[in-house]
Amino acid sequence: MRLLATASAILLFGATSVAGQTLDELKNDGQLNDALKTDNVLTYGMGYHQQRYSPLNQINPKTVKRLVPVWNLSLDNNWGEQAQPIVYNGVMYVTNARHTVAIDVGTGKQIWKHTLDWPADTPRVVCCGVSNKGAALYNGRLYRTTLDAHVIALDAKTGKELWKSKVAEWKEGYSLTLAPLIANGVLVTGISGAEFGIRGFIDGWDPDTGKQLWRRHTIPARGEKGNETWPQDNNAWQIGGGSAWITGSYDPQLDLMYWGIGNPAPWASQSRAGDNLYTSSVLALRPKTGEIVWHYQFTPNDAYDYDACWELILAELSVNGRMRKVAMQLNRNGFLYVLDRATGELLSAKAYEKVNWASHVDLKTGRPVETDIAKSIRDMKATEHWPSTRGAKNWQHAAFNPKTGLLYANTMHEGRMYKHLETKPYETGQRYMFIENLPLARPADQPIGHIEAIDPLTAEKKWRVPLMDFQIWSAMLASGELLFTGKHTGEFIALDAATGRQLWQFQTGSGINAMPVTYTYKGKQYVTVLSGIGGLYWNINREQLKDKVPQGGSVWTFALLPD
Amino acid sequence: MLVCGSAAAQSPAPEQIQRGAAIYERNCSPCHGARMQDPQGAFDLRKFPHNERERFIVAVTRGKNQMPPWGGLLKPEDIEALWAYVLSAESIYGR
Repeated sequence: MRLLATASAILLFGATSVAGQTLDELKNDGQLNDALKTDNVLTYGMGYHQQRYSPLNQINPKTVKRLVPVWNLSLDNNWGEQAQPIVYNGVMYVTNARHTVAIDVGTGKQIWKHTLDWPADTPRVVCCGVSNKGAALYNGRLYRTTLDAHVIALDAKTGKELWKSKVAEWKEGYSLTLAPLIANGVLVTGISGAEFGIRGFIDGWDPDTGKQLWRRHTIPARGEKGNETWPQDNNAWQIGGGSAWITGSYDPQLDLMYWGIGNPAPWASQSRAGDNLYTSSVLALRPKTGEIVWHYQFTPNDAYDYDACWELILAELSVNGRMRKVAMQLNRNGFLYVLDRATGELLSAKAYEKVNWASHVDLKTGRPVETDIAKSIRDMKATEHWPSTRGAKNWQHAAFNPKTGLLYANTMHEGRMYKHLETKPYETGQRYMFIENLPLARPADQPIGHIEAIDPLTAEKKWRVPLMDFQIWSAMLASGELLFTGKHTGEFIALDAATGRQLWQFQTGSGINAMPVTYTYKGKQYVTVLSGIGGLYWNINREQLKDKVPQGGSVWTFALLPD
Repeated sequence: MLVCGSAAAQSPAPEQIQRGAAIYERNCSPCHGARMQDPQGAFDLRKFPHNERERFIVAVTRGKNQMPPWGGLLKPEDIEALWAYVLSAESIYGR
C-alpha cells in the first residue's frame, strides 16, 4: 500500500510543473492522505500541523544500522545553523543568517547561492543568537526573513532577488529570524525583539509584490479590546514586547493560523500591572485579514520570560470520549496545554516538569494559580525559580505521532536564582529586561533535561531518558518508530520511539541545533539535518564546548546502503 | 581593597563606576552575567587583564568574536565608564 502511495507520488511528481507548488500542495504537505507527496517537504514543521511526523518507513529500527551519509555541503557560515530545509521537486532550499542556498537533492551540488549583507552591529539587537530558521516556498518563489528586519522574495530557480520589504527599523530593536508561513495565499511573518522593548506584531504580505496587506499588533492600541489589560497611566503597552519568533501553524479547514506570542517587556513586571494581553498567549488569526478570532493567555502578567512562541502542534485527540481538533503546546512555563483550536477552549493543562511558580492551572478560569514563589519574585526578592526563564522546554521543537497520540520532546530541567531589579526608563534599541538570573548549584546526578515521550492530556511520560551534559535539539519522527534528533556535540542520532533507546548515531562536523527532515527522491528515503553550532545555547555553553565542537555550517544528507 | 598599584594611581571616580555599572546592567549582563558573576559562554570579564585598557576599548567599540560592535550605540565616555566598572569588579564583588 505504501509502495503504491510512493509510486503514485512519483507519477505526480513527474506531472508537476516546475514553476512552483500550489496552495493545494502546501495543504497536503505532511498530511496522511493519498495526496501526500513524500518527495517534498514544503512547510515548517513538515505539515501545516507542525507534527514533524513522516509515514515513510524504509528507514526503520531494523534498517537504520545501514544509514550512511550520502553527501555533505558546506554552508560557509560560522553563525550557526538553525534552519529546517524545504524540499521541492528534487531541489533543497536552506537558509542561515547570511545565505540562502539551493541544492540538488540527488548530488548535493549547490545550484545557486544568495548572500545577504546586514550592518555589523545588527547582532546587538538579537537577544539569542544570529540565526535563521528557514524559508517558505510558493508559486516558484522562495521567501525568507533577514536579521535586519526585512522580508525578501527570491526566484526559486535562480536565486535572483525579486523584492525586498522593510518590516521595521532594526536600530529600534526589531529583528527577524523565523521562517515565513504561506497561509491561504498570504505570506505571513512575525517579529523578534521583546528583550529590547518593541511592540510586537504579525504581518501579512502580498507574495507577488511584497506589499503589506495587514499588520496585527500583538499588543492592542488604546481603544482596542485588550488594551485595558495594560496600565492606562503610562505607555507600557507601546514598549511591551510580545514577539512572534516561531512560525505559526495553520488549519486550512478552519482557515485559522495559530501564533504563539512572546513575553512582555521588561521582564521585571512592576511597571506593567495587568494581564498584558496578548503577551505570553496564543492568537488564532485569519490569514487574509489578520483578524483575531480567539486568544488564550498562558501566563497573565508574565514576570518570568515565559514566552509562548513555541510550536502549536495541531492534531485530533479523543478528550473525554469525544474527538476534538486541538492545538497543543509544551509551554515554557512548565505546563502542557491542550486547546480546542476552533474555539480556544482550554481542555487540559498539566505540569510536565518541575514547576514552583504556580500550583496548577484552573481549568474553569483558564488561569495559573500562582504560589508564594511568584509573590516573592514579584516582591523583587532573589528567589529559586522553576522552571527558569529558559523554560521547561526551549524552542527545540517537539514531534507528534498521530497514530500513538504521543508527543516527543527535548525538555529542560533547570531552576535559577531569579530576581527582578528596579525598572529604568526605556532607551530605544537597548536591552529592556531588568533582572538577575544566576545559576543554582547542580548535584552531579541531576539531569539538565530529558528526551521523552509524553501523553498530551495527562503529561505522563511513556519513557524518559535523562540528559546529563548538553541540550538535544528538535525531534522528528520517521514512521513513528524512529525519533531523529541531534546533539550540541555534533552527534545526529536515531532513537527507538517506543523506548527511547538509541539505535544509531553519526558524528557531524559541528554541533546540531536544527530540525531534521525526511523525504523521498527517486523512490528512496533520505534524512537531512544541518550541522553548525550557534544560537542561544552555543552562547551559553561556548566555554565548555569551544575546544570540543568547532563552528562551521553544513548540510548532511543520509540514506540506506543497499542490503 | 585596591585593585593594583598602577590602576590605583588612576582610580576611576565612583560616579564613573556607577555609570559603567548601569550601562553594564542594561546592555552587557544578558551575556556576561549579572554583576559579572555568571558569564556562561561570554568572556569572563573578572579575568580581563587590568593593564589592557586599549584591547577592551577596541573590542567593545568594534566587536569581537560573537560580540557585536557597540561603538554605534555607546559613546567613548560610556565605554570608558564600562572599563572603570570592569576594573572595579574585583573590589566590589570579590573574585
